[in-house]
Amino acid sequence: MNTDGLMEMSFYSATARRRASQLVDPGTFSELLAPNDRLVSPHLPELGEAVSFDDGVVTGVGRIGARPVFLISQEGRFIGGAVGEIHGAKMVGIFRLALQAYETILDREGRVPEERRPAILISFDTGGVRLHEANAGLLAHAEIMDMIQETKGKIPVISLIGSKVGCFGGMGFVAAATDVIVMSSLGRLGLTGPEVIEQEIGKEEFDASDKSLISRTTGGRHRYIMQDCNVLVDDTIRAFRRAVEEILALPYEEICHYRRIGTYPLVQEQMALVQQAAELMPGDSMDVWRCYGNDEPELLPEWELSEFLCAVRRRPKEVP
Amino acid sequence: MALNHLEFSYDGVAGASIPADWSHSGVVGSGDMEVLLTRKAQGGKVVVKVCTPVCGFDQVWDKVLAHFVAESGCGDLVIEINDNNATPFIVSLRLQQALSEARGGDLQ
Amino acid sequence: MQRRQWDTLHQDRMQRLAAAEQAVGPGKIVAARDTVKLLEAVIQPGDKVNLEGCNQKQADFLAEKLCRVDPKKVYGLHFVQSSITLDSHIRLFEKGIAEKIDFSYSGAKAGALAEGVRSGKIKLGDIHTYLELFGRYFIDLIPRVALVAAYAADREGNLYTGANTEDTPVIVEAAKFKQGIVIAQVNQIVEHLPRVDIPADWVDFVVESPRPFYLEPLFTRDPALITESQILRAMMAIKGIYAEYGVQTVNHGIGFDTAAIELLLPTYGESLGLKGKICSSFALNPHPTLIPAIESGWVENICCFGGELGMEEYVAARPDVFWIGPDGSPRSNRTYAQVAGHYAVDMFVGGTLQIDADGNSSTATADRIAGFGGAPNMGCDPRGRRHASDAWLKCGAETGSTAETLGETPRGRRLVVQLQETFREKMKPGFVDRLDAWELRDAAGLALPPVMIYGDDVTHIVTEVGIAYLHKCRDLEERRAAIRAVAGYTEIGMRADPRQTKDLRRRGIVKMPADLEIDPAKAKRSLLAAQTIRDLVAWSGGLYHPPGKFKNW
Repeated sequence: MNTDGLMEMSFYSATARRRASQLVDPGTFSELLAPNDRLVSPHLPELGEAVSFDDGVVTGVGRIGARPVFLISQEGRFIGGAVGEIHGAKMVGIFRLALQAYETILDREGRVPEERRPAILISFDTGGVRLHEANAGLLAHAEIMDMIQETKGKIPVISLIGSKVGCFGGMGFVAAATDVIVMSSLGRLGLTGPEVIEQEIGKEEFDASDKSLISRTTGGRHRYIMQDCNVLVDDTIRAFRRAVEEILALPYEEICHYRRIGTYPLVQEQMALVQQAAELMPGDSMDVWRCYGNDEPELLPEWELSEFLCAVRRRPKEVP
Repeated sequence: MALNHLEFSYDGVAGASIPADWSHSGVVGSGDMEVLLTRKAQGGKVVVKVCTPVCGFDQVWDKVLAHFVAESGCGDLVIEINDNNATPFIVSLRLQQALSEARGGDLQ
Repeated sequence: MQRRQWDTLHQDRMQRLAAAEQAVGPGKIVAARDTVKLLEAVIQPGDKVNLEGCNQKQADFLAEKLCRVDPKKVYGLHFVQSSITLDSHIRLFEKGIAEKIDFSYSGAKAGALAEGVRSGKIKLGDIHTYLELFGRYFIDLIPRVALVAAYAADREGNLYTGANTEDTPVIVEAAKFKQGIVIAQVNQIVEHLPRVDIPADWVDFVVESPRPFYLEPLFTRDPALITESQILRAMMAIKGIYAEYGVQTVNHGIGFDTAAIELLLPTYGESLGLKGKICSSFALNPHPTLIPAIESGWVENICCFGGELGMEEYVAARPDVFWIGPDGSPRSNRTYAQVAGHYAVDMFVGGTLQIDADGNSSTATADRIAGFGGAPNMGCDPRGRRHASDAWLKCGAETGSTAETLGETPRGRRLVVQLQETFREKMKPGFVDRLDAWELRDAAGLALPPVMIYGDDVTHIVTEVGIAYLHKCRDLEERRAAIRAVAGYTEIGMRADPRQTKDLRRRGIVKMPADLEIDPAKAKRSLLAAQTIRDLVAWSGGLYHPPGKFKNW
């Protein structure tokens, strides 16, 4: 099988399973709790809703070089990638396994060599909690947040966002808490999703049918300008894979510098941003882009990614 | 409101199963379905289990599945389908794709 | 003998103009804030009023102002207009300002219209095709007042309607030359217009609207949403019909099936060597999905019913293909384009919601009065046509019932092609024993079930199962068998007799993908010349500017 061709494939349109298997070295991906384990949601059948053998998330382990890489890959096409009980438990399970792998190496060798430090990749494609099993879904979110705290100082967690649904709801918080966020221009990251904003506040506040507006306020380019996204890549599995490799090649301490929250100075920086928004009162993201020195903000979405990366002026970071 | 579980059985070709123990393909998106193929020596028989939220199309499933088994010449298989409103065209297409992927064909 | 007074209409008109002058002062240009007063002055209870709105542009500002008139002064109006598609259109009936509607198309308000008819708030006149309704504007539905929309006016009241000229000329002519009143809302008043689309002396009042008129990008189809099933039907249609008959002049419907065909011309069509042999001229809106075929040199001419939002610059930059004014900007004219679509194209291709066992099709459901638009004028055999073309002659020669009905005299026939999925989403069958249109007839008290395209006009039905060449059938029973043969696993399809289907295939009345040497597994999205809206922008060299609704960047 020609994996080269597959790597050029759009990350955006790739299935969760394709993304998971292509993000690690060829032939190294082992799926855990695969479809033939038939671990379907116990709640959806009660509601007469279709089930899936993987409950909408692919979990597994592979290698990049000598490094064990633990993967979570969500499938937005199944109930919008929403997190239910099984889905959430599978995610938590991957964090546990990754931490166990870290502890095992530490116990056995007394230290964890950089090139073999385990890593976690989360390919998000989700609107957050699955409303059909909301209690279990919310609980899973809390558990995952706990697990992310457990990883601090031990293993890097990298978010990859460039699939159809994007990353919204509670999972938006989860992504924010990870060490690094990699997005493509087609990636969408936010808390309250566009439809919910429109439903709650009205079409004048946010027209959820305006795809361009959604892109300008939640898309990869906006998140990159705002420094919410660390690395912006093309929409190919290869580009995401290369970004992951480059990040993981850095010493762990350096990877931690990508974090956008989690220290007092970073909190202060976020507070300053809130203040700035209150003063600027932007009517559109383009007002913010202009404020950071992008004189023709309307051109930013139109450019090819390489041109964009050369020309764009990002929000100045106060904490280097 | 519960999901419907349908089961069908057809005479297939003995020995015409898939190389691996099992193979999976497809996504349970809206209007779509997933297929889990499992190899099972059972005298050529093909057993199909369908789990679907849609009622009242048992006869359509039977015809589509019978046609697939006859046309594809498969056998000694258990086919499990999780469906979410796939049309007969999509069902036929996904079954063909599942079998071709299981037999090491092109991944599309 | 008492002498008859011959100018009562004129006298009436003068009285209305005098009332207007009293209400808002002299002059053609009326301030936006005086619009309600103006409308109350010139419109009288029971008037036939044309409130311009088609499936694209809308005189929405005037519609909203009309909602604000005093229903004690202005009531019981009879609307004669192409479309009823805005919230304000429905509100006019709820308030009693309007009472009756004769229309053609309702789109997004189809449900509200049906509800209004059921509750008795809306009296339904007739549901028309565009041309039919335009015809009645000059016979028995003559508008007393026309409220129209234009891009710009000058101080004299000349109007520039530009790429979205659409219905304006026919409405203004019908009102004005029977001594009616014409009021235009314009996006802006300028010193010099790029060109004059409607002369000033046909316009009584001009109101500068505080915001541009609403424009619906109804003909934009996102290639990202085209399915493999649509691609398969498109491949079958191209090979089994376009190529088979060498059809050069075409009208396409609005759906994703025809968008798939447009996007397959430069790829699949090219691979079959069809460039130059098919699809060189269209009666068609500026579909963004046609850009790759235009850019690849397939298309010589496109005559547009209306303009499409975002396509203006592209259209203006391709003056050999589109119709462009002396000022360099596009124009459209629905009347002429509909005439072209009726008489001058050899084939109509479109999708539908339901087809019955006899081949009649409809997009109506019991709780939606959707109307017809222009489709029936193109989805029929124009019996008045006398000029010949190869495709028309071939289709006529193949017609199986000619001997029974006409005898020996040769006659051509338009190809009327329906693309149909055997099951739509949620397993709704595309083939049914009885159209929902019958239920709508009863619910809305119509004289006839609103059939979009009659079975005896349809020449070809294309499903993912195969193509039925219905016109080749000798009688209704044979047509029914051909329909059953391509109706798949629907109840109608399951009644097909395999032996009969085999015989129809042998006689070329039914062709399956295998008969056309098409492998359904090859029907992949990668065949589309553009797979996203962004691809279309790239094909256009940046001249196409998709509206935000369609632009995911």
